[in-house]
Amino acid sequence: MTEVSLLSLVKSYGKSTALKGISLDVGHGEFVSLLGPSGCGKSTTLKCIAGFEDVTDGKILFDSKDISRKLPEDRDIGMVFQSYALFPHMTVARNLAFGLEMRRMARSEIADRVARAMDMVQLTPYADRYPKALSGGQQQRVALARALVIEPAILLLDEPLANLDAKLRDEMRGFIRDLQKRVGITTIYVTHDQNEAMTMSDRVVVMFDGEIAQAAPPEDVYDRPASERVARFVGNANILDLAVADQADAETSLSLPGGGRLAVTGGADAPVSRLRVMARPEQIALTGPGEGHIDGRIAKRYFSGGHVEYHVDTDCGTLNVLCPTTQNVAEGANVGLSFDTRRLWPLPGAAHVTAEPAA
Amino acid sequence: MKRARILMLIAPVAALIFLFIVLPYVTVLMMSFRAPAEGQPYGAGFSVEGYRQFFSQSYYALSLPQTMGLGIVTSLVCLLLGYPVALHIATAPKRWRGLLYGIVLSPLLVGIVVRSYGWTILLGNAGVINTTLRNLGLIERPLPLMYNEFGVVLALAHVFLPFMVLPLLASLQTADPAVRQAARSLGAGRFTVFRRVTLPMSMPGIQSGCILVFVLAISSYVTPALVGGMRVKTTTLLVVDALIDQFQWPFGSAMALTLAVSAGIVVLIFARLTRIRWS
Ligand SMILES: Nc1ncnc2c1ncn2[C@@H]1O[C@H](COP(=O)(O)OP(=O)(O)O)[C@@H](O)[C@H]1O
Ligand SMILES: [Mg+2]
Repeated sequence: MTEVSLLSLVKSYGKSTALKGISLDVGHGEFVSLLGPSGCGKSTTLKCIAGFEDVTDGKILFDSKDISRKLPEDRDIGMVFQSYALFPHMTVARNLAFGLEMRRMARSEIADRVARAMDMVQLTPYADRYPKALSGGQQQRVALARALVIEPAILLLDEPLANLDAKLRDEMRGFIRDLQKRVGITTIYVTHDQNEAMTMSDRVVVMFDGEIAQAAPPEDVYDRPASERVARFVGNANILDLAVADQADAETSLSLPGGGRLAVTGGADAPVSRLRVMARPEQIALTGPGEGHIDGRIAKRYFSGGHVEYHVDTDCGTLNVLCPTTQNVAEGANVGLSFDTRRLWPLPGAAHVTAEPAA
Repeated sequence: MKRARILMLIAPVAALIFLFIVLPYVTVLMMSFRAPAEGQPYGAGFSVEGYRQFFSQSYYALSLPQTMGLGIVTSLVCLLLGYPVALHIATAPKRWRGLLYGIVLSPLLVGIVVRSYGWTILLGNAGVINTTLRNLGLIERPLPLMYNEFGVVLALAHVFLPFMVLPLLASLQTADPAVRQAARSLGAGRFTVFRRVTLPMSMPGIQSGCILVFVLAISSYVTPALVGGMRVKTTTLLVVDALIDQFQWPFGSAMALTLAVSAGIVVLIFARLTRIRWS
């Protein structure tokens, strides 16, 4: 197991800068996801770690040893690509053997390890097939086995599930996660799918425009996002821009449009006049009119099997509310909304953000 | 009803194929078995005289292995020259690629006669190369650069190089760069990646490039005629000689067919040896 440290990594392509100082520590056996919109620099980060790109500035440490100047072949990395990047001219078994041959291992040892790796990803019957003759999911598993069979120091995966259909993707998520835990390998996983990042990772690193916006466990990123942008990227976020009525040490009291008060823990360090707070859709409950914190009218109702999603027009803008299907309200009905006040999250630095209508 | 419609749709293509591909072959095949005659292209009745004439005279018969050899060597030379070029273009930055592509194709814009004639200017006894070397005092007598296999292969390789580079480029460019990166991450150095990944993955391009150049080289007339000066006897030259100068249509047809069949066999053997099972 290896510890990876990125020290203010900078990567420029000519005039444009893809990475603007990425610093991150990944612990022994940790599963870390890089999450962010397309073009934010996730793949570039991975390519720098793998050695396919030279870093413009900064350092990459494996177990405190600087490897930033090493060639990719000397870094001892297992990598899985979105396109799988299997060797099309080699059978499954030969694909798996390649990395071991490069390590000049004895033939019997190679055969042994390849057999075990194929067993691990349940591909033993396909040993002599060429990649073209395998399904996407099978190719994916070959790619995974090929990266792991060399027992690398760290495992890098770049959107490995993006080309699979939804059902297989869910299956592979669990499969990769279980395998990673079993092998105990330090893993950096790139994805633009927040669900994937949250379900699989020990820690999620949210990136925007070549910078890390937040690095924290999935629960923290979801419940306590570091910024409005993170809040909106990771799941659905209702953001209320409210006037501050009273500001105490640990608690801030906010005035609601209907005249009510809303108490939130935490808030701004300095006295502010307004605060933006985030409430996730499932943290708002529907009540009768006048019974909740604010009143509203159901604008849209979407049934999605497990839940019903309501878009509710209020004086704080249109809010998303997610309810169990047992709670059924028709479009056009007047309702009250009650916030789970313990989970309302005052957005850091939000006092300086000017108000904009919620989505 | 449905069948009739389908037949109607394929009828024009079928007619074209018959008219321009099948019919000429059948005509040549028939002609190759006609009896020879004095003073006219062919006589009455059928015979195998054309084939006997070809295989019984070493002057003619030996042109066949000579031609095949010329084709194979030209293919090899094109492959050795073309591969680095294709590799370079395939890995060049995108904005340069168009220009490099154009440079490779540009010889095709100049007619084959002009290009072959260009080589005679360079390679002749009083040509640019020999004159320069003599003026520099490096040689006494002109080097035999032309009117031999060397000159013909050189000129053929130049003429047909684009036909090697294009298929190579196509197969190199379709290869996902991530595959090479995967090989690197698995511990392969640059050269090993080339030998074990890039090169075998470009096999389809090597195959079609070699076949293309081989077929074009053995059937070319202008270049061997100009640069070889009729001293390098290729079967194609002899075919034209028999058909046009000697006016012996059955003999010429027999040679043309023998050449075509031999080329087909060489191509089949080559395809078999380089069979690709993975695509
Ligand atoms: N080879 C390159 N040359 C120039 N710009 C590049 C190159 N590779 C990536 N970039 C730029 O760097 C930024 C980050 O790209 P990338 O890391 O691939 O994003 P992501 O994987 O997060 O979608 C993008 O703006 C992209 O255009
Ligand atoms: Mg990417």
